Amino acid sequence: MGVNIAKLTQRTDLWPWLLLTPLAVYMAIFFVVPLADVAIMSFTEPSPTLSNYERVLTGGLYLRTFLNTFVTAITVTLCCLFVGYPLAYLMASSKPRTAMLILLLVTMSFWTSFLVRTYAWMVLLGNNGPVVWLLQTIGMERPPQLLFTRFSSTLAMVHILAPYMIMNIYSVMRKIDPTLIRSAESLGARGFSLFRHVYLPLTAPGIANGSVLVFVICLGFYVTPVLLGSPREQMIAGLIGNQIDEFLAFGMGSAMAMVLLVVTLAILAIYHRRFGLDKLWG
Amino acid sequence: MTNIRNRTPGFLVSDRRTFLKGAGAAMAGTLAMPYIARAQDNTLYINTWGGPWEEAARAHLFDPFTAATDIQVRTVSPVSFAKLAQQTRTGVYEFDITTLGGAELVRANQAGIIETLAEPYPGGLFQNGVASHAFATVISWRTDKFPEGPKNWADFWDVERFPGARSLQRYAARVLPIALLADGVEVKDLYPLDVERAFASLDRIKEHIRVWWTAGSQSTQILRDGEVDLIGIWHGRHYEAEAAGAPVAMTWNQGEIDRAYWVVAKGTPNADNAKAFIQFATGGKPLAGFATQADYGPLNPAANEFISEEDARRMPTSPENYKQTFEQDMVNFGGDPAQIAERFEEWVAS
Repeated sequence: MGVNIAKLTQRTDLWPWLLLTPLAVYMAIFFVVPLADVAIMSFTEPSPTLSNYERVLTGGLYLRTFLNTFVTAITVTLCCLFVGYPLAYLMASSKPRTAMLILLLVTMSFWTSFLVRTYAWMVLLGNNGPVVWLLQTIGMERPPQLLFTRFSSTLAMVHILAPYMIMNIYSVMRKIDPTLIRSAESLGARGFSLFRHVYLPLTAPGIANGSVLVFVICLGFYVTPVLLGSPREQMIAGLIGNQIDEFLAFGMGSAMAMVLLVVTLAILAIYHRRFGLDKLWG
Repeated sequence: MTNIRNRTPGFLVSDRRTFLKGAGAAMAGTLAMPYIARAQDNTLYINTWGGPWEEAARAHLFDPFTAATDIQVRTVSPVSFAKLAQQTRTGVYEFDITTLGGAELVRANQAGIIETLAEPYPGGLFQNGVASHAFATVISWRTDKFPEGPKNWADFWDVERFPGARSLQRYAARVLPIALLADGVEVKDLYPLDVERAFASLDRIKEHIRVWWTAGSQSTQILRDGEVDLIGIWHGRHYEAEAAGAPVAMTWNQGEIDRAYWVVAKGTPNADNAKAFIQFATGGKPLAGFATQADYGPLNPAANEFISEEDARRMPTSPENYKQTFEQDMVNFGGDPAQIAERFEEWVAS
């Protein structure tokens, strides 16, 4: 019997790969080829030199924008984690009906276009908006400027991206076997120690998954920071768009895209060495 | 909506880009085969801004054109200059016609990505684009803050007489001429732009610009909400805030005109139909209807006789308003627009 199973496994070893072929072909045509084209354009447009990279890597504007893009993405990811983790825990430890209700509230914001949500924040945080009015009513004479600051853009991006974090963490928390927690308790783990040594490691795949997702999506954002943030908050995706759609500078835009890709992969590689991205798959 | 139609299989074209591009185009071509028949089937594909713009174009340009010629019009949005360029490179056409602003038109004509056109009405042709309609960037202000508003850009820059938060568009080619006017340069001496002087003038106003707007709807929103007291805004967007009940006023004086031009994608199999459409769409009556509904000013003077006096008052191109405004000069700009834009972005962010 045992021999049979071993044989069967060996024979079906190729099967998963064969099943992957359609996807692999699809990805090769619609992802690898265009990406290679972008890579080539970054070296050859308008003429075959390294001048695009020279401009991207020495121009103050581009370096500052890259830095700002990554700082923003990391800040938003951390905020989403701090907001999302407790909420996911609340959902995982509530009765199914309550959990469903919270899940509904969390995903409801997905039903509205993110542009509409961005404009909604503009109204809420504005000089004549309800938040400033409330601050004035409770006695603050000169409420701080909320709109067009890093605060307002970060708040809006966290609002837009938090559901990705929450759903990822929640799906992992829900599957945690409660007997593990009880065993830990019976062995004397209490409070923070229980959380630190048992619960947190068990939810790590959800944290890793949610963080990578939020981080990567945030790297490509540019409308929200430009609409709500301070003038200093340009994101690299915005500059890439300008280069291509305004100046037809495909080479320059491609070079920026390649730098973004390489730096992102480098960050994920460091993250992988430190935390292990394979946790993504539990 | 985004039917990709094929002209020449990419691998037959001696493209200076490599086989990758060819392979991609060939693949797209194979996928698009069913549409080749449709391409010769008297259908014109037009790139539009969507929304109210397309509604107005549908009512006054597309449907009447179909009624007159039996050529169907399909639309692809939003307007994309980059796509226009890519179409010529790959030989795969998603649209035959699009509109461009002056700066893009000059670039497109240099790059050879648009068809040669004939003059449809006297003065209507520029760099192989047919002038259709115009909007103006005007000074608009909150009347609850200033019953008597600024009269020109120098007043807009005067933070002592008009204290308050301001906004301008985050767009170098439009902002630099305005900064020079504010610094006392005469309209006739504006081009080529004195870029150094323009940035020196911008330095004076920088800390009073609360936000550099990037989207038309954003400019309406911040004016309506009173986020800013003064704004350099497209005239149609000003009227939108006014229609929403905001206490706002504007002046045509020193309004900065932007022209929109129809162009035909180079090498499209539909070039003849496309040219016929442009001839039709810039004719007096259709253009008058479109410009009135979409809050533009028609550039073919023949359209003026179809426009009521009341509507004409809202247009930058009506004789009364036009003489107060000024035009941009993209041929004689005063430097490489891409480099100036880069410097402007750097200046805004620092």
